[in-house]
Amino acid sequence: MSSSSNVNRTGLLETYSYDDQIVRMFVFATIIWGAVAMLLGITIAFQLATWKMNFGLQWMTFGRLRPLHTNAAIFAFCGNAMFAGIYYSHQRLLKARLFNDALSRIHFWGWQAIIVAAAITLPLGLTRGKEYAELEWPITIAIAVVWVVFAVNFFGTLVRRRERHIYVAIWFYIATIVTVAVLHIVNGLSLPVTWTKSYSVYSGVQDALVQWWYGHNAVAFFLTTPFLGLMYYFVPKAANRPVYSYRLSIIHFWSLVFIYIWAGPHHLLYTTLPEWAQTLGMVFSIALWAPSWGGMINGLMTLRGVWDKVRTDIILKFMALSLTFYGMSTFEGPLLSIKSVNAIGHFTDWIPGHVHAGTIGWNYLLIAGILYFLVTKLWKTEIYSKTIANIQFWMATIGLSLYYVSMVVAGITQSLMWRAIDANGKLVYPNFIETVVKIVPMYWVRAFGGTFVFVSFLLMGYNLYKTMQQGSVGIEEVYEAYALDDSSVEKNATQHRKLEGLPLVFGVLSLIAILVGSAIEIVPTMLSNHYISKIDAVKPYSPLELIGRDIYIREGCYLCHSQQVRPMVHEVLRYGKQSEAGEFIYDHPFQWGSKRTGPDLARVGGKYPNMWHYRHMLNPRDVTPQSIMPIYKWLVEQKIDYATLTRKLQVMKQLGVPYSDAQINNGVMSAQTQARTITEDLMKSGVPAEVEDKELVALISYLQRIGVDYGSLPKSN
Amino acid sequence: MYKEALEQFNKPWLPLTALFIFVLVFLLYLYWTFKKENKHIYDYSSQIPFEDGVKHE
Ligand code: HEC
Repeated sequence: MSSSSNVNRTGLLETYSYDDQIVRMFVFATIIWGAVAMLLGITIAFQLATWKMNFGLQWMTFGRLRPLHTNAAIFAFCGNAMFAGIYYSHQRLLKARLFNDALSRIHFWGWQAIIVAAAITLPLGLTRGKEYAELEWPITIAIAVVWVVFAVNFFGTLVRRRERHIYVAIWFYIATIVTVAVLHIVNGLSLPVTWTKSYSVYSGVQDALVQWWYGHNAVAFFLTTPFLGLMYYFVPKAANRPVYSYRLSIIHFWSLVFIYIWAGPHHLLYTTLPEWAQTLGMVFSIALWAPSWGGMINGLMTLRGVWDKVRTDIILKFMALSLTFYGMSTFEGPLLSIKSVNAIGHFTDWIPGHVHAGTIGWNYLLIAGILYFLVTKLWKTEIYSKTIANIQFWMATIGLSLYYVSMVVAGITQSLMWRAIDANGKLVYPNFIETVVKIVPMYWVRAFGGTFVFVSFLLMGYNLYKTMQQGSVGIEEVYEAYALDDSSVEKNATQHRKLEGLPLVFGVLSLIAILVGSAIEIVPTMLSNHYISKIDAVKPYSPLELIGRDIYIREGCYLCHSQQVRPMVHEVLRYGKQSEAGEFIYDHPFQWGSKRTGPDLARVGGKYPNMWHYRHMLNPRDVTPQSIMPIYKWLVEQKIDYATLTRKLQVMKQLGVPYSDAQINNGVMSAQTQARTITEDLMKSGVPAEVEDKELVALISYLQRIGVDYGSLPKSN
Repeated sequence: MYKEALEQFNKPWLPLTALFIFVLVFLLYLYWTFKKENKHIYDYSSQIPFEDGVKHE
């Protein structure tokens, strides 16, 4: 279009080509894993609508498939899409081939191998028990390695570029690569017990702080910043007009980077800050809220003047709707972080609703636009069927609307029921199951909405496949451009040259500032276990309870149950004494959960007899008619794994849990004794003696221990 | 509960320093971005996506 950078250039004229084959590979992977992720999504959605969909198979239960769904959607689907889009645009924005073809292939196959490993291990129940970071330590390490390969390939290309200026999209990519690496490593730290089991090095409150610092920023830097970068490249390309305001895009970038890092912990830190600083921090956050919308407006305004095209061009249509959802989610997110709104939304279905407005509305729709763009370009042809693409567009929109509306309604309905207190100060709905039954119809609506989205995706897969078939890849085209040298700096003034060098220097300095700033902010978290006051009554788990806890983690109970009583009247009425930080110091990893599909379990210890749990786990409907909890019958078939117990206790000790050597050495014996005691109690109700060495006994021992140490203390405050 | 735990964190100068750094750097960036002299850089940069490269014959 305009000022070609090749004018008046003295440098070496070089020829090069783009590695588009790697982009095609990532495009394939995106389509395949996207379908898998969504199929898993509707499976677990139907499981919540009817427990029968768990089929009584352990590898198919909700608690095991839910982590697979989230990992597949985030890392397999969005991950592969992001790599495809980045590799396509990065090369072209820099006029350079990717640094190294072999690295690109290692990146591709390494990533797919990790996904396959996840698809095998998660259904087997091998998990670290931390949301979106479930993969066990060998896979976690593999992710770090592949990420480094990606980074080397990416920055190597940057170094070899033939375009001096770094387009704003690339800034978003850089932020992604650097931040995801830090987040993944810090949150991934754990001590291995065996090849397939490890414990988080953090515990309790500290583990929770690290986990949600990760969770919060993973959404920002895996699902937001890379896709904004893609938006800043592909929307102008598809609309064939430059971004509405380049300045705004830069402000957008910096404010996002600042907002996400500051916005996480600052709410928490307010308590210790002087008043003026709290006000400043708040003003700062709110002032930064606007640029998210600035970003959306920037994208949408890029389409101004081509609005007639948006109506007919399916690619632009997907992008426009996706940007609208980006705006909606970035409005809803901060809204949900306001304390009074959060009190209602937290632990309810509103949150999955919010999350899917982001992942389906923003990520999937943008990816759809990008995939249609890429496939037509890389196979040099037109979209096979605009009709199918249009049907896809509407099915996805309707499906997502059903999903979102049903979840917001379900979330708010249930939350209001939880907190309803009558004139006598009693809970109006003391039976948790009443509040579940009420929203089951909404679970059906959500499942069907999800099915719409899934079918829409299959339609796209078919459409893209036919598009590829009718097109052809052709041979790699050769391009020419000047190597970077002084002549790429504009001639007229030294003044200019200084200015041109500055953005990069300034950018790097800013990144450093952000790193320092966030490092300082994370200090309270890192030190938290030093200033959390200990509660003497809280003792480490017995060996059998520890085994039971690992079963609890394996089965993903934390995905339906929280273990944290908030300081609210209705919660204390329903569950018991509010939770204290000191209660969780031996919890590696913490198990507070984030969603209450079932009731909170923080005070469940001692609430029911052993026999109640026995019957409940084998068939929840036996004790709670209409329960939607799955059946766990394999727990009375599988034997307790005593073989790794000693090692588990040793690792816990290394992590600071005060087990004595005697306790560790006698661990197995003590566990067996406790198992016998529980079994004898169960036998009184006619349970056969064989259960003594079965997993259910260990799980019951853990359930009966949760929250007891502190919960049974006489009220102090 | 995060809050209760962090209330016991008694080094307010740490988050203060962080806040200070963030605000300062951000303001500098704002200034830099809106400086008139830099306009040509943005005009140029916004065209980069449209130059896929000159085909070699
Ligand atoms: C699909 C979501 C789901 C999963 C997964 C799940 N539960 Fe539940 N759970 C529920 C629901 C709903 C209830 C309330 C109805 C009932 O009592 O069955 C419940 C109730 C309970 C109760 C009774 C709590 C009380 O105070 O009455 C216990 C104990 C329990 N679950 C333990 C577990 C354990 C242990 C696991 C993991 C092995 C687990 N649950 C997995 C949904 C789930």
